[in-house]
Amino acid sequence: MTEKPDFDDWEEQINALLDGELDDAGAGRLKAAAGEDHQLSQAIIEAYQLQRALANIPTERAPDSLRRKLAAIPALEARRGARQQKPGGGWWQQSWQVPRWAAAMAAIPLVLVAVNQTTDWLGPKEPSAAEIAQAQQELAVALSYLGKVSRRTGLEIGDTVNHEMHKTVNENMMQAIHEELEFNKEREL
Amino acid sequence: MNAFSRVVEGAKASAGKAALAFTLGITLSFAASPLAAQEDALKDLPGYVDFAELSGVYGEPKVMINLGGSILRFVGGMTKDDPESAALLQQLKGVRINVYSIEGQPEAALKSLKDTKSLLQDARWEPIVQVNDDGDQAQVFVKLNGETMEGLTVMAVDEEEAVFINIIGQMDPAQLSQVMDNFDVDIDGIDIN
Repeated sequence: MTEKPDFDDWEEQINALLDGELDDAGAGRLKAAAGEDHQLSQAIIEAYQLQRALANIPTERAPDSLRRKLAAIPALEARRGARQQKPGGGWWQQSWQVPRWAAAMAAIPLVLVAVNQTTDWLGPKEPSAAEIAQAQQELAVALSYLGKVSRRTGLEIGDTVNHEMHKTVNENMMQAIHEELEFNKEREL
Repeated sequence: MNAFSRVVEGAKASAGKAALAFTLGITLSFAASPLAAQEDALKDLPGYVDFAELSGVYGEPKVMINLGGSILRFVGGMTKDDPESAALLQQLKGVRINVYSIEGQPEAALKSLKDTKSLLQDARWEPIVQVNDDGDQAQVFVKLNGETMEGLTVMAVDEEEAVFINIIGQMDPAQLSQVMDNFDVDIDGIDIN
């Protein structure tokens, strides 16, 4: 008997799938499991969406003025160090030797990415292709839940009228809404 | 091609781009602030419904989607080969959905459904479908304004999950039905082919 893989195993397999490293047998097992486990299938979709979003995060060059200021820091620190340095001085006097400016430079892309992400979501900036694709996926999930409830209610409606309704169950709910709308129009008139 | 097939195809196309060992854990933290901001922007619209917060009882929703009008318009712009979807999405102001796993404990969800139903009736929403079958309940309400529909609210609770859906904006039910078909994702039996 084969043991059911735990969540960590699935996570590894999802990663392998998204990295293109999962073989056919593994993909088959993942497929079978996702067919039975909605949370797993949802996790795969979300992981894929995030992978795409991460792949599409734009990086931006820092403004020239900021780059010049950052580039000047080592020289500035060197001059300051030379003024303050005494024979046998402490670690703080050697501070220019510590590449803090390098750390600052390294941090810039991260900050810009963070700012970029924030303005993408909250500001009027156009959403990226990845965000639109993610919204499209989310809309599909939302509409699917709507369809699921619609099927459930449609079946109930079908039962109450002794199976006389042979339309698709989606149509049942939408038809009911349509009729209510028509009725409302007549009432308005 | 269903959503899962698209995922697999997309994964093959972008193979090797990113290590995702941390992905599932950070998804919510990425999404939390934008969701709140979009929620606030929708609150004044006539088709908006304030669903009760159930995460204190059931934990975080297993699905939480909150799409505002602007992103829906962009999605509509991407579906020009599907004029019905594009037309509907241009009119929508928001799509919100919360799905909780309730694991055989529907009491809090049923209470929320009942309370929301009462609020909707007070706000003159029209009941369209009401199912009450033991632990399985579903309610569908629409907000009408003359000849137009400005909101759709669907609430369903069974033994496994509680689903709260609110679609905001002008919509034609026939168009919505068509779009549901066009976006069809079978969430009960996703196929990875």
